Amino acid sequence: MFARRKVMVFGLICLLFLIADLWIYHTLDKAFVNLADSQVRETAGAALEAVPSGDEAVSNWLERLEQGNGHFFLLYTRGIHGLDPDVTVFSKNADLLAFFESKKNTPGFLKAFENATYDEITRLSDRIVIGGTPRTLLVVPATDPATGETVGIGLFAFDTSATDAYSRLLAVLAIGAAVVFLAILAAGQFTRDPVQTYAILALFAITGTFVAYPLFEAARLSFVQDGHFTLDTWKTILTTRQYVSALKGSLELGFVTATLSTLVGFLFAFTVTRTSVPFKKFFSAMATLPVVSPPFSLTLSIILLFGNNGLVTKQMLGLENFNIYGLWGLSLVQTMGMFPIAFLTLVGILEAIDSTLEDAALDLSATRWETFKTVTLPLATPGILSAWLLVFTTSLADFANPLLLSGDFRVLSVESYLEVTGMNRLGNGAALSLLLLLPTLIAFLSQRFWVSRKSVVTVTGKPSARLTELASPRTRTALLLAMSLITLFLFSLYGTILAGCFVKNWGIDYTFTLANFREALQRGRDALSDTVLLAAAATPIAGILAMAAAMLIARKTFIGKRLLELLIMTPFALPGTLVGISYILAFNKPPLLLVGTAAIIVINYAIRELPVGVEGGIASLKQIDPAIEEAAADLGADTPTVFRTIVLPLVRPAFISSLSYTFVRSMTAVSAVIFLISARWYHLTVLIYNFSESLRFGLASVLALTLIVIVFATFGIMRLLVRKNVYLEKTVG
Amino acid sequence: MLKKSVSVRLEKVTKTFVDPHSKKDVHAVREADFTIEPGELVTLLGPSGCGKTTTLRMVAGFELPTSGKIFIGDEDITFLPPNRRDKAMVFQSYGLFPHMSVFENVAYGLKLRKVEAAEISRRVNETLALVGLAELGNRPPGRLSGGQQQRVALARALIVEPSVLLLDEPLSNLDALLREQMRVEIRRIQKSLGITALYVTHDRTEAMSLSDRVIVMNAGAVVQIGSPHEIYQDPVDAFVAGFIGKVTFFPGTVVEVDRGCTVSLKGRTMTVPRFAEGLKPDQACSVMCRPESLRLEEPGSGFLDGRVVTNVYLGHSVESYVDTPEGEILVQVDNPMARRVFAEGEAVSVSFVPEYTKIFPEEGSDR
Repeated sequence: MFARRKVMVFGLICLLFLIADLWIYHTLDKAFVNLADSQVRETAGAALEAVPSGDEAVSNWLERLEQGNGHFFLLYTRGIHGLDPDVTVFSKNADLLAFFESKKNTPGFLKAFENATYDEITRLSDRIVIGGTPRTLLVVPATDPATGETVGIGLFAFDTSATDAYSRLLAVLAIGAAVVFLAILAAGQFTRDPVQTYAILALFAITGTFVAYPLFEAARLSFVQDGHFTLDTWKTILTTRQYVSALKGSLELGFVTATLSTLVGFLFAFTVTRTSVPFKKFFSAMATLPVVSPPFSLTLSIILLFGNNGLVTKQMLGLENFNIYGLWGLSLVQTMGMFPIAFLTLVGILEAIDSTLEDAALDLSATRWETFKTVTLPLATPGILSAWLLVFTTSLADFANPLLLSGDFRVLSVESYLEVTGMNRLGNGAALSLLLLLPTLIAFLSQRFWVSRKSVVTVTGKPSARLTELASPRTRTALLLAMSLITLFLFSLYGTILAGCFVKNWGIDYTFTLANFREALQRGRDALSDTVLLAAAATPIAGILAMAAAMLIARKTFIGKRLLELLIMTPFALPGTLVGISYILAFNKPPLLLVGTAAIIVINYAIRELPVGVEGGIASLKQIDPAIEEAAADLGADTPTVFRTIVLPLVRPAFISSLSYTFVRSMTAVSAVIFLISARWYHLTVLIYNFSESLRFGLASVLALTLIVIVFATFGIMRLLVRKNVYLEKTVG
Repeated sequence: MLKKSVSVRLEKVTKTFVDPHSKKDVHAVREADFTIEPGELVTLLGPSGCGKTTTLRMVAGFELPTSGKIFIGDEDITFLPPNRRDKAMVFQSYGLFPHMSVFENVAYGLKLRKVEAAEISRRVNETLALVGLAELGNRPPGRLSGGQQQRVALARALIVEPSVLLLDEPLSNLDALLREQMRVEIRRIQKSLGITALYVTHDRTEAMSLSDRVIVMNAGAVVQIGSPHEIYQDPVDAFVAGFIGKVTFFPGTVVEVDRGCTVSLKGRTMTVPRFAEGLKPDQACSVMCRPESLRLEEPGSGFLDGRVVTNVYLGHSVESYVDTPEGEILVQVDNPMARRVFAEGEAVSVSFVPEYTKIFPEEGSDR
């Protein structure tokens, strides 16, 4: 593989390319710098063409010049320092004056003054920083038009930051081109399967640019001010009352929501898997429904029901000072929205617990309660813990609900949003959202590496056909009643949104109207089409990327595989606000000036939904005999062909669910995308928020309903597509 | 229908894995060095874990050798990816594409080679007929029997007209009868196409009945290369002798080494024409006896007395299990119609035909 000839050819091509690259870079840079320089010299020369005499006249002239021309400061000396006996110095800028006085006897300056007597303009190697921008210094002679003699000197401090930025960009592009070209060349020359190598390199480039780099930028900004390392930002964050209370609020809310959700989730999961209540399927469906409900929808109906003008609180109960805004209102909404997460986790765990264990306990004459306490509950404990942690992290990262419903109560996600958009304090915003990452990461990691290892549940592969009834008839009735009440509440929440669509002015005028639809769909038309378009653009990218990454991770061995896995999976644990803030920090400057474009939104969708798709793809590939892909390669298929003709069709269910998941999540995104939208590219959820904020609840309801309909339609289509799968009923093994 | 047959050559091919737990190097294959001649069917035979499948997968391109080179014909293919090697493989688990019909499975390789549709159709039907599946083209592979799936896998490999056919324990998932049938079939097709083939198995009967030559591997190393009868009759060591067939070893002492090896065994001396190299007089040795090299005689006339425990009647022969002071010994009595068969319980004496045996140094003695 590393035959000497190949290495030499490679080295030669590298050398040629680098020479060409360097030459092009140098030529372009030189040309631009020269152009900029000649412009500067021209400006300077023109400015000194007519220097008045008389002190006051010079002073006025200087003021006029600097006012008329924003990008330089000027110091003028009548007479030449070091040559003429008396020299008068004029300057409007103290910095420049001080600089001149301290440096005027240095060899560089003296040489420049001497040059001036020969009517030459000199660029000094010294630079000066005035007002935070570094400036280039030019020594220009002022000539008496009558005699042609040099009568004085102008010291110009020009702002050349634009030129510098251009040079930097050019250098970055030249280096980037070299890196890309050499990587492609090396992969083509020295690897067995260049396409695979390109795919791996591309994935590294993508995740490096859109996961690692923004995070780095966010972290950097929280530690760096004016180019210096400092802990000031963090000191501010950790000592200011407002921020500390936001951290406390987030943790409080997470704690309450996680506990309540786990309780409700366990209630549903236990009843569905361990008792013989009727309508199990219905209750299961109800318990998973809120997973797909768009953001703001539950909050919206809570406000409609229990808000200041709420149907229940004001109209029905006549309460005047009831306040739903704050910790308890938020906990209620989050619990309704997040208990499905706990439910789904717990159903999986409870179903995996072999019912014969409970039979054994009952057989040893334990009561049902004792059996539950000593067998079922201990076995389910790791599952309960991981459900709790999952909800906890979700609650911490939640942005939409607190945004509408937090009132005076502070949480980190909203606080960091307000810092960035309201106060324009990007550093604080970045630090706050990084602070949010800490508990999230701890919870996520302990779930992954500690709780999941403590699990004693063994998957036997053959679920018992019959589950032992663990509840007495009375308990069963109680469980059923509790579930029915919660389900009813959930129903009324969705019903409220529906009702809200048809009411003229909720809380004041409940007349039936269709006007909301007309107005909402008219005002939301652009946002709706943007949202659908962007989500639709991200969907295939995320889906294909996810399946390709899954194939590489599940099937191939390569250097840095663990790192790539980590980079791909990281966005799963990142709160959306952090992603949003880090994206605007990283991509608001060249060479990746993406803020304001559709691209940044699409990339954000694809990157954030990648982890779930990849996990699904890997799980699906693990069920498939690798010999199937090897057989295809053996018959002459290269890696892309194997991917297209074998892997994609075989992981079709995972692929389709990854597609629909990405689409739905992108349609209902809010926490990250709220930072990335622009006048040109808007998002429906943000519009719902805006309508709610301006108390146009009817319009908000219509848009929320629209989103719900789209989400359910997507999942319906996905189900149809997955079911049409004739051959894959049984995999040949 | 076929191009010219080519050879396959391995030059000092070594494959080392790093054990994920102990972090130590594990030699899966050490310095495998052999050539498969054009048109030849060679079997890699050995117990599981001996490196035979790894060797095959290196030829196929699914594993990279740590060192050494592999050639197909004159082309060095050591680092070529699997899809650019002129060979086709039949997998142990078949690896049929579950989302394609039998026809599409077989046509897959041709489609990749951009063959015209009409030509594909003709050749697929021809190949399916060759393996006896002409009627089953439209079935999904999931609805075929094991033997039929095996034939699809074979057809799918053969249709691309590879220079080399690689078979990785292709018959291990089939029942005994079907296995025998497919064995004959594979050999017939391989011979009629004149295709060079490398066949991996741990089943010695399969190896013996199929191969032009057998390569016996043990613990990553090639132990012996030879025709089936060389390996059976003249194994290089006790391992090969034991792996390739039923065998009994009798301990003795070397008396003299000349053109034959004279050994003393239970007080008798005899000269055996086949013996391992490096034997020295007075060295402890063992005499390898196959069941068919042993004879049963009247008590006292052989070198070892015993009693018949069980007789297994096989038609063309009888297998007599004889209990002796050396343990239970299997003696094969060929053509029971022409010979005396001692009844169960009868006292007998065991002797052997020196020409059919071979002398090895005793295990553990210097070698």
